[in-house]
Amino acid sequence: MATATITPSTPVIPKNKGRILVDWLTTTDHKKIGYLYLITSFAYFLIGGVMALMIRAQLTMPGLEIVATKEQYNQLFTMHGTIMLLMFATPLFAAFANILMPVQIGAPDVAFPRLNAIAYWFYFFGSLVAVAGFFTPQGAASFGWFAYVPLSTSTFSPGLGGDLWVFGLALSGFGTIMGGVNFITTILTLRAPGMTMFRMPVFTWNTLVTSILVIMCFPPLAAALFALGADRKFGSHIFDPANGGAMLWQHLFWFFGHPEVYILALPFFGIVSEIFPVFSRKPIFGYKTLIYATIAIAALSMTVWAHHMYVTGQVLLPFFAFTTMLIAVPTGVKVFNWIGTMWKGSVSFETPMLWSLGFLTTFIFGGLTGVILSSPTLDFSLSDSYFVVAHFHYVVFGTVVFAMFAGIFFWYPKMTGKMLNERLGKIQFWMLFFGFHGTFLVQHWLGVQGMPRRYATYLPEDNFTFLNEVSTAGSVLLALSFLPFLWNVYITARKGVKVTVNDPWGYGRSLEWATASPFPRHNFTSIPVIRSESPAFDLNHPEASDIVATKKSSKKD
Amino acid sequence: MLSKRTFRAALASAAAVTTLFLAGCSQQDLGNAILMPLPASSSDVTNHTDTITDLWNISWAVLWGVGVLAWGLMFWAIVVYRRRKGDEHLPAQMRYNNPIEVLFTVVPLILVIGFFAFTARDMSAIEANNNAEVKIEVIGKQWSWDFNYTQANVYDSGIQSQYKAGKTDNFKDLPTLYLPVNKRVELTLNSRDVNHSFWVIDFLYKKDLLPGKANHIFLTPTKEGTYVGKCAELCGEFHSMMLFNVKVVSQSDYDKHLAELQAKGQVGLLSIDASRNQNLPGVSAPVENEG
Repeated sequence: MATATITPSTPVIPKNKGRILVDWLTTTDHKKIGYLYLITSFAYFLIGGVMALMIRAQLTMPGLEIVATKEQYNQLFTMHGTIMLLMFATPLFAAFANILMPVQIGAPDVAFPRLNAIAYWFYFFGSLVAVAGFFTPQGAASFGWFAYVPLSTSTFSPGLGGDLWVFGLALSGFGTIMGGVNFITTILTLRAPGMTMFRMPVFTWNTLVTSILVIMCFPPLAAALFALGADRKFGSHIFDPANGGAMLWQHLFWFFGHPEVYILALPFFGIVSEIFPVFSRKPIFGYKTLIYATIAIAALSMTVWAHHMYVTGQVLLPFFAFTTMLIAVPTGVKVFNWIGTMWKGSVSFETPMLWSLGFLTTFIFGGLTGVILSSPTLDFSLSDSYFVVAHFHYVVFGTVVFAMFAGIFFWYPKMTGKMLNERLGKIQFWMLFFGFHGTFLVQHWLGVQGMPRRYATYLPEDNFTFLNEVSTAGSVLLALSFLPFLWNVYITARKGVKVTVNDPWGYGRSLEWATASPFPRHNFTSIPVIRSESPAFDLNHPEASDIVATKKSSKKD
Repeated sequence: MLSKRTFRAALASAAAVTTLFLAGCSQQDLGNAILMPLPASSSDVTNHTDTITDLWNISWAVLWGVGVLAWGLMFWAIVVYRRRKGDEHLPAQMRYNNPIEVLFTVVPLILVIGFFAFTARDMSAIEANNNAEVKIEVIGKQWSWDFNYTQANVYDSGIQSQYKAGKTDNFKDLPTLYLPVNKRVELTLNSRDVNHSFWVIDFLYKKDLLPGKANHIFLTPTKEGTYVGKCAELCGEFHSMMLFNVKVVSQSDYDKHLAELQAKGQVGLLSIDASRNQNLPGVSAPVENEG
């Protein structure tokens, strides 16, 4: 089958503005829903980012009152955390999974297109409800994104903002659960002929494993949120401290909260696992090891929740310490597999690869500090300090944001039919890279020296001032790095060159590179033969099969 | 991949260099070499701080080794295997190499088990009941601290930090917990309202104060001095003002302080009765509605 015979079937694009609006509002097309997720979550990313800048400005020097009251400061970091985790990073997973996963398995859509649409609208309205607290007289929720009781009960946080936060997140959480169910069903039932489980791209595998995590840990969160809502609104006593409610909430919350971290990480590990091979012109190194590592990480992630609770004095330290430390093993396997993919390859540095390498550089350090924190002996000192803040920004920002931009630059031609500007992308990368490390690297030392997280200010005698100034300066550079990106999107829409080939990068491996750019309405006009985990590469580079064959026969053992 | 012989030679020399490095270092050198030392002021402050510092230093030394290896291999790949101009060859399509994958699974596993063994040994020592000579109850409240010197039947009650921009000497106004040096101390932690966390930075230790559930800290302060303490668990609007000092003093100064408290009339123990959580265990009658 030759690529030349595939003619893109152009979707019927409505011309009238009202029609376009109705088309987007009523769509059940997985790609359009994916774009809706992408745009909405990016908007929340910018909103959460502005909040972060206000937090950083407030902390530049001791005693500042840039944020008028400490209550408002608490609202800012509460909503910054909530927005970044539940309105940006989690739906961003749904964005990439929706846009790519059906194409990567050769399906025309997801298994339940209408469930897919309602999942998005639950997320959309749930998130609006949660942030609407800012428009109430007492302001938004201010009890931290993990809402520890009794602080989050109506006794200590009586405002309407807290109620909106609780019920908004519960609603949005149902959207996430529906998305998870949909992705699992799609992967299990809609794979094209020849697409066996162990021929699926790593991104699709990670989508599957992430979705399983979603349906295991989001329902407990929904239950906990409704119980908290009942305590707040209907006077129930589920989290009454007299019955050990303070610990009950922490257990329920972190039983969700820890796997959530891997829900954020795994899909983005998947994205870079797609990118390293293409720009090294080699298959992913240790494909099956990588998948088993993903499964091991997911399984372990369900057993480590109480490592957030070492200093509560109420958990079995050795168990949670050991399971937490074990996660380092499969994670290390992944890192070495990515390096192995580049090893003896032909490595080039287009923007997607640059972002992926930025991810790897950052993530390695987040992994090291994670090992330190896994030890209760060391965590007793570091827990709830800026060391933890620095650690999770290295892990979560390092993974989600770097890999998101890697994915956006990589698949932009697939989504829009145009390539983003490489030069602007590289300028953005270096600004963001140095801005990020400038902001967060110094926070490790702040934490070790004793700066607690969630402090609206500190004392001049604490000697935290200089490092905080560095951190704030870094955050300004980080914020400015978004200008070249937004300009890039604008200029590409106006003047970008149209992509005419299926695979503009030349060495794409998975099925999305065997169909037109942008995707046709139902993804494929015909499906190529799938005989390995790299069907598009097999199609475009038949010469490579000889290299594999000789390699295999010579390596007979 | 590298040939087996080169690889083995590299591994052996790396191991040798690491061993020499660790053997030739004092703890102090090692603390500086790891780039992220714990505060020097924490040295020998309690019977636990040096144990924690040792584990911290050795863990970082090993972790930097792992990190430098990973970053090193990454940059090696970036530089050595970069595509040269006009180079259009397709590299060998290597998909896996079992020995190397087993190696980078098993070696980290061994490191992790070792790290766990040291962690478990140290944390059980830190958390063990020390059959205390001095017993003090610490009560957290929005947004300060009360201290009950249980054995002497006196108390001290604090208010939050009065810090405003431009004010100096801010540690002076803070509530101060006195501890006698070289005595086994047990702190019982209770909260009157929400969760707090008792963190003395140079003790390299903190523990949460939970309403409805007592927690305990066991330690022996070993060095006289004044140490900075902060609440480390978000507890509401003035969380960042919930600061305190710990003064480790000689037994005679400690007794003097207790006598001062008695002279001020601070006799008896403060209870958690004045809690806004009205049905905590130990809270007998509903307190008046504070609105």
